[in-house]
Amino acid sequence: MTAATPNAATVTRSEVEDFLFLESALLDEWRLEEWVELFTLDCTYEAPATDAPASDPGQTWSLIHDRRTMLEQRVIRLKKPEAHAEFPHSQTSRIVGNVRILDRGPDAVSVSASFLVSRMKAGKFDQYAGHYYYALVPGADGFKIRRKKAVLAHDRLAPQGKISFVL
Amino acid sequence: MPDPLVIDNRKDSLFQVDREVFTSQEVFERERELLFGPSWLYVGHESELPERNDFRTRDVGGRSIIFNRDRRGEVRVLLNTCLHRGASVCRHPAGKAKIFTCFYHGWAYRNSGELVNVPSAEDYAASPADVYGGLHTPRIESYRGFWFVNFSGDAPDLRSWLGTATYLLDLAVDQSEDGIEVLTGTHNYELHANWKLLVENSVDGYHAKSVHHTYFEMMMELGQTPPMLGDADTNGVPPAGLGTEFDNGHATLIYPGNGLPLANENVVRNLAELREKAVQRCGESYATAVFDLARNSIFFPNFVLIDLNFGMILRTIMPVAPDRTEVTSWHIAPRGLDGESLQYRIDNALTFWGPAGLATPDDVEALEQAQRGFTARNEVRWSDISKGLGKARPAANDELQMRAWWRQWNALMTGERLPREVDEFVPFDTRTPQGA
Ligand code: FES
Ligand SMILES: [Fe+2]
Repeated sequence: MTAATPNAATVTRSEVEDFLFLESALLDEWRLEEWVELFTLDCTYEAPATDAPASDPGQTWSLIHDRRTMLEQRVIRLKKPEAHAEFPHSQTSRIVGNVRILDRGPDAVSVSASFLVSRMKAGKFDQYAGHYYYALVPGADGFKIRRKKAVLAHDRLAPQGKISFVL
Repeated sequence: MPDPLVIDNRKDSLFQVDREVFTSQEVFERERELLFGPSWLYVGHESELPERNDFRTRDVGGRSIIFNRDRRGEVRVLLNTCLHRGASVCRHPAGKAKIFTCFYHGWAYRNSGELVNVPSAEDYAASPADVYGGLHTPRIESYRGFWFVNFSGDAPDLRSWLGTATYLLDLAVDQSEDGIEVLTGTHNYELHANWKLLVENSVDGYHAKSVHHTYFEMMMELGQTPPMLGDADTNGVPPAGLGTEFDNGHATLIYPGNGLPLANENVVRNLAELREKAVQRCGESYATAVFDLARNSIFFPNFVLIDLNFGMILRTIMPVAPDRTEVTSWHIAPRGLDGESLQYRIDNALTFWGPAGLATPDDVEALEQAQRGFTARNEVRWSDISKGLGKARPAANDELQMRAWWRQWNALMTGERLPREVDEFVPFDTRTPQGA
């Protein structure tokens, strides 16, 4: 985003798409330190359990419920060679589409999108499909992510078994 | 099958397992008969069926089952296979139902099992309900809200099967006078490795430093010092922890609790209150065992309780194929916690456990790599589980727990009974009256 400071009332879908595509690229390229800087300090990064997709990861046994500190630690860990499940890094390719602006609040927009992440590692090819829900805060230097929730469209984690990279 | 499968050589303190048992289809099928037949298998917790007519479908010991509460409020397990020609009578993971109707030809069963409706029943000379009765209902028993099923007719009762290992369940339940409940949300994932590798891993203290290095570094960065660096005993448990074994292959490793990573004042106060109430009910020594020690326990053959007292996990490990395993895990918490304390416990457990945690994926990686290594089993035949064999009091990072489990495995699979190594260690004053 450029010149005038955008606000939630005027954000367009293509601005949101550009931002989500940038996020995808950072993740696929394992530029995780840059990725984590896309988040606000009061952010959450969540994934509900596959059998309770509509439940609140803060009060249920979910797959992921990181606040900023844990998100940073996740990134620090994943960049270490001793993060055994992800070293060498798997190759991922993600398609983000069906982007919709669902709601415009006073300082943030809620957005939904579909994702399909393909992952290849050591001869094994896995796919993860689902929907993203974001709360994005527009500001002078682009969006910040206040909330990212990845809801898997799986009834169980098989055959992939683990989500060792960032969804 | 090769013979022997397990070598327990006390003279040289060597314990070995033939790698064939992780890859062979024959062993896999014999396990279903000889192990998952006569053993008591964990099905679920009573809190998962709060009301009449609640049900949950699961796969337990290779059988599809319905775990439910019938219209009279009684907990049941029904085999999820129609008496007519075998189709599942319930295809939903959970819900409410008074009647299960098989969609294939429409036979219908009451949720207590009886066959109550057969379309065009007049075409049968003998009424199917008279011939077949109802859905198969295997033996079930519970211990303090934990329900187990047994698929063989002549097993001992659950209490005798669990023996003194019941205290591991007591210590989890007795955190609160209101007991515990299973939270919404299930981790359900697969790994491409033999199920017994995850059994070993679940009570393996030896791998913690090497596999979970990044996790411990993270905790240190957040201001948590691992407890093994302390020097005082806690109820007789040294800083290095202890392994202990029970009859029938149950085992645990006990170690000093991990402190409270990232806890705020409210959480600390909440836990102190729970502890104080436990002291009133059960005494100081028992409360110390509940709140200041942590345990990873395996109940033979495939039920795991990870009890870090401020974050507790149940896990079942089900074989799908020799090199494929289905893992299910639930979080349990004392009933009636405030939202903030509950969230802390969940987050705290989540940072480590589960398929998207910061540690468990590395375990899965290790097991899948081991499975890959077993392709060379003709050349390299034995896996070694000798660590600490011969010690009077093995530490948490020794391998007594695994040997105890393997001896029971060996007894059921081959009939050969090998003597145990050490006496049971109970880290609290057993004269203290408990909640049970
Ligand atoms: S198989 Fe169930 S009614 Fe025929
Ligand atoms: Fe581990």
